[in-house]
Amino acid sequence: MMLLSPVQTFRCPLTASGQQHSLRRLLCCMLFCLVCGSLTVEAQEVQRSVELRFADSVGGEVPDFQRHVSPLLGRVGCNGRNCHGSFQGKGGLRLSLFGYDFQMDLEGLTANAQSRAGKRIDHQRPHQSLILQKPLEQVDHEGGQRFAAGSWQQHLLLRWIAGGAKGTSEPAVLQELQVKPAEIVFAAGDIGVPLRVTAVWSDGEQEDVTPLCRFRTNDDSVATVSEDGVVSTVGPGDTHIITFYDNGILAIPVLRPFSATAGLVNTGGVAAGRAQGPSAEIDRLVMQKLAKLNLPTSPPCSDVEFLRRATLDLTGTLPSPAEVQAFLNDPGEDRRERKVDELMQRPAWAAWWATRLCDFTGCNPAQQAELGQEVSVQWYTWFYERLRQNRPYDEIVSGVVLARSREAGQSWLDYTARMSAAYREQDAAAFSDRETMPHYWTRRSMQKPDAAAQAFAQNFLGIRLQCAECHKHPFAPWTQGDYQEFAQFFETLKFGVAPDARADYQRLASATGVRSNGSDGGPVTPEVLRRARQGDTIPWRELYLTARESPRTVRLLRSRDVVLQGSADPREPIMEWMLEEGNPWFVRAFVNRVWASCFHVGLVDPPDDLNPANPPSNEALLSWLEEYFRKSRMDIRSLQRAIVLSDTWQRSWKPVAGNAEDDRNFSRMIPRRMPAEVIYDSVKQAVAAADRTEEVRTDLDRRATGHLSMRLAGTYAMQVFGKPERAVNCDCERDNKSTLLQTVFLQNDPLVIDRLLESGWLLELQGRDLSAEYPALIQEAWLRTLSRPASVQEQQRALEHLQSAEESIEGLRDLLWALINTKEFLLLH
Amino acid sequence: MEISRRELFRRSALQVGALGSTCTLSQLLRAEANSGQHSDRSAVFVFLGGGPAHQDTFDLKPEAPAEYRGQFRPIRTSAAGVEICEHLPKLARRADQYAVIRGITHSLADHGLGTRYVMTGNLPTPVISYPMYGCVVSRELPAAADLPSFVSIDRPVEGPGYLGPEFGPLSTGEKPRFGQPFRVRGITLDDTLTLGKYRSRFQLRNDLDTAFDQYEQLDESVRGLDRFSEQAYQIISSTRSREAFDLTLESGQEVDRFGRHDFGQSMLLATRLIEAGVRFVTVLLEGWDTHQDNFNTLGRQLLPDLDQSLSAMMDRLQEAGRMESTAILVTGEFGRTPKVNGNAGRDHWSRAMSSLMLGGSVRGGQVLGATDARAEGPAGSGYTPDDLAASFLQNIGIDPKTEYQASVGRPITLIRNGESIAGLL
Repeated sequence: MMLLSPVQTFRCPLTASGQQHSLRRLLCCMLFCLVCGSLTVEAQEVQRSVELRFADSVGGEVPDFQRHVSPLLGRVGCNGRNCHGSFQGKGGLRLSLFGYDFQMDLEGLTANAQSRAGKRIDHQRPHQSLILQKPLEQVDHEGGQRFAAGSWQQHLLLRWIAGGAKGTSEPAVLQELQVKPAEIVFAAGDIGVPLRVTAVWSDGEQEDVTPLCRFRTNDDSVATVSEDGVVSTVGPGDTHIITFYDNGILAIPVLRPFSATAGLVNTGGVAAGRAQGPSAEIDRLVMQKLAKLNLPTSPPCSDVEFLRRATLDLTGTLPSPAEVQAFLNDPGEDRRERKVDELMQRPAWAAWWATRLCDFTGCNPAQQAELGQEVSVQWYTWFYERLRQNRPYDEIVSGVVLARSREAGQSWLDYTARMSAAYREQDAAAFSDRETMPHYWTRRSMQKPDAAAQAFAQNFLGIRLQCAECHKHPFAPWTQGDYQEFAQFFETLKFGVAPDARADYQRLASATGVRSNGSDGGPVTPEVLRRARQGDTIPWRELYLTARESPRTVRLLRSRDVVLQGSADPREPIMEWMLEEGNPWFVRAFVNRVWASCFHVGLVDPPDDLNPANPPSNEALLSWLEEYFRKSRMDIRSLQRAIVLSDTWQRSWKPVAGNAEDDRNFSRMIPRRMPAEVIYDSVKQAVAAADRTEEVRTDLDRRATGHLSMRLAGTYAMQVFGKPERAVNCDCERDNKSTLLQTVFLQNDPLVIDRLLESGWLLELQGRDLSAEYPALIQEAWLRTLSRPASVQEQQRALEHLQSAEESIEGLRDLLWALINTKEFLLLH
Repeated sequence: MEISRRELFRRSALQVGALGSTCTLSQLLRAEANSGQHSDRSAVFVFLGGGPAHQDTFDLKPEAPAEYRGQFRPIRTSAAGVEICEHLPKLARRADQYAVIRGITHSLADHGLGTRYVMTGNLPTPVISYPMYGCVVSRELPAAADLPSFVSIDRPVEGPGYLGPEFGPLSTGEKPRFGQPFRVRGITLDDTLTLGKYRSRFQLRNDLDTAFDQYEQLDESVRGLDRFSEQAYQIISSTRSREAFDLTLESGQEVDRFGRHDFGQSMLLATRLIEAGVRFVTVLLEGWDTHQDNFNTLGRQLLPDLDQSLSAMMDRLQEAGRMESTAILVTGEFGRTPKVNGNAGRDHWSRAMSSLMLGGSVRGGQVLGATDARAEGPAGSGYTPDDLAASFLQNIGIDPKTEYQASVGRPITLIRNGESIAGLL
């Protein structure tokens, strides 16, 4: 199994099963830890487990299909992917994958199928039923023996068959799963801890369902769990054990402190002494978790490390040599704080975030409805302008989610004139002045409602629905029904020519040479666009809503019923829901992405996979960040500022005794590779002429993190360094792994070699005797690339090289080459 | 080598598809080091970009009405019952070595999507990017340390998708051209750089790169870098890799055997790379998108070029005894319309196309699959690009049902819907 993320406190089970509740999540979790289970339901007697109740082959109680038979089939593995749960089935029997389609499963089991050995279900002679003989391996069964003769499993199935093999007409609703203990803290050498699971149904019934659950560990280097739910410690660290039953998924934290003897060392930090404020709160919550794990923290990073880290993370840009020197000479105690504030005011901050928002929302030139480059740049710029003005995140998202081509009160003619004006060579009207950004919806990849549903859920909610396209999501409550109903929200969006605009559109289309196809209209080609550049109005297709013939009630991702009717915008109820305080996804997904952009990993990781089986490594911290972001009116700058001014973010990457193993609790900074665009821009900056350095750093038109982003999409350099194509709905598309080809690229790609050959800095130095300036030039080379002064040894080694070089310029070129090929250059550390 | 338990677990989890989940790190490293000796399997993917007219290349319909059958006549080949286009006489004489696969069918008559489909064996979706075959080979059969595993001659084709950039191709950036120096992106040293100078730079870099000393094994992002850096140095400085890319080492006679045209030079380069130990090479022959003037384009240029260079590659691999270890697939992204259009061209048509499969354990001298009388669609159910992919991978020695744990968080079967074509291997 792939490693899902690290973990800590568990998610409130009410949230996990999709119910709304008014208690603050934090409070809920704290309380729940204490009084596990007694919160919600009047104490009814908990039914004993099936193990005991069906120990005998006969008895009064008949097992229930949903509560007992279906989970049993899951538990013994019948409906797994490689068995009867595969889409082809196995041996003629097909069950729903992970078993949540009770109708289909009953039909599969009770189908009138038989082989020489007997009928699948034999009502006359239940013992002879194939669904017993096969798993007992009394007849040939590819899947082997699944349970023993005389076992409760056999008797459960037998009594179900004898009781008429009845299905589930109206599925019962699982209110919550309760798992005891609610948290496990191990010491080395501890014996296994058995879990007990109680299912609480909405009618108040409670049952011990431990033998019917499936269990999974999220990291088997920390803890393992047996089929029967016995948790054992393997090594120090923390993870979660996940319990699955019916539609319920519950994670419980399991941890084992690191070396029990090494006392916790809190090395403090720059912000130490600042006992209040958001950064201190972040530190407090991180330290809380570290204390539990007995993990010491690394000391604060140095000023040069801080500057490089902050400039790269906040603006995607290397600091300039002058900036490094100024920062090192700044005696002010608050220099780091001031630097962060200054960086966040730079256009590059907005540009780097615009690039990230483009990643999250899928801005891909190849998928635009027309004019891939132009449309993508408009998309990017629309974000950029809003970020520059630090508009709140919810406002920005609303402008995307509720986008329509025509602004309020606009006629189609006004709209198309306005759109055309955005391309005028003279006095162009800024596209980014538009209230909304419809390009998100007009992409070719968004035209099918189910594709739009998947993209939307991943982009704004951090939910991966795609599993539910074909089967119930294995790690989340989403069923195929949930997915299909969500897709219906996007059915009435249309990109083309609205009925009231058809005559005008046709007229303009024939006048300008747009090949129009009825109500679909036609794309604006580069030829037609030329007319707009000259000032003509050309016909643009538009995003509009068609009217629904009859109203329909659909469920909004298990949260509430919504009536879709007429031409009311179905995206409005989604947006309203996203903005509600109790929405479990919208804010959480974004703050987690912001965190992930500042560290090597999200609190939930992968950051776009929020599901109950993938709990955060620090629930208290994630909840706090959520609350802080809401309180600060979704101010992105303020959130990122709180994070980067924390001691946690400012720790050195160098481990101290005892924390080298920690890669999920932030006891030190973990180095990351520079993203594709940043490497591209950094190499350019490192070699630039002194008087061009500022321009290279700030002229967004020439930066890969800026407007060049779209033009570079798909080029070799970007492919090699993992710039996302933004073709699929996954944050994982941006790949910051290191590869052999990247090293080949930095050592010898013409792009790098030519940059060095054409280095403006080296050109400036040409034609004069440099030998007297070597020490200063060496320092400059270090500042340009590694953003720090060279050490004495480094200075010495570089000097040796320069002195042995045939030409000074060539020696310096070698030096630049060597420096951009160091790990220190390539990594954010 | 110091390594954390967690990391060990992670690495072994990463390798599940290739080596099974139970192996230890030392086994893994050994396997990595030895893979060059374990097997000499390799593969070439010749992509006829643009969509060659199936009925004018390997699936002629002489009995069809004139507006369908076009201008070309079939000729007999060295294999009984196998006929191909008259403009492929050299290939006709070698028909015992390859299998013609007809009646491959799909529904993506768009260059981008069709290409993506035939290069990955998976129907493109907006949810996940599938890896090109070469990336799978890079992962499963890495080349020796001083050679790239996967070389894409000219521009890069489909990428590594969910396998990650680690397994992406080294793209040469341009085609080798006869009589001109060939600069391979990333491999060839620039004219301003000598090997000695490069060595001294590399030494300088090693001496200066000390910030992470003692911590090399600590974090994922740092860990690979030294090894990659060393390997990049080996590739760039090694005689073997430089010579593999150096076409001036070929005799004039050999150059002429492959042809002086770009495609001939690319095929010669591909052959040299395979001989040197590169695992996977892609070669492009584009221009098949013949909406107009189909017959002149094919008859005068594309078919003769293909005929000459592919035959030369076959001969050379035979002579070197490498045919059995080299799997070759020749295909476009779709076929072309059954009826010739008003511009003596044919338009996109994905309901039928043909491909060639040879080398490895392909049973040559046969035709598999068929189209109907006017080459409009498969006779019967036909094959899909998925089947073609499964067969190709099988022929390379990679199980098409291999499962990977992708970062999207679910297991993915390499070729989910295809089955290796019966009777082919």
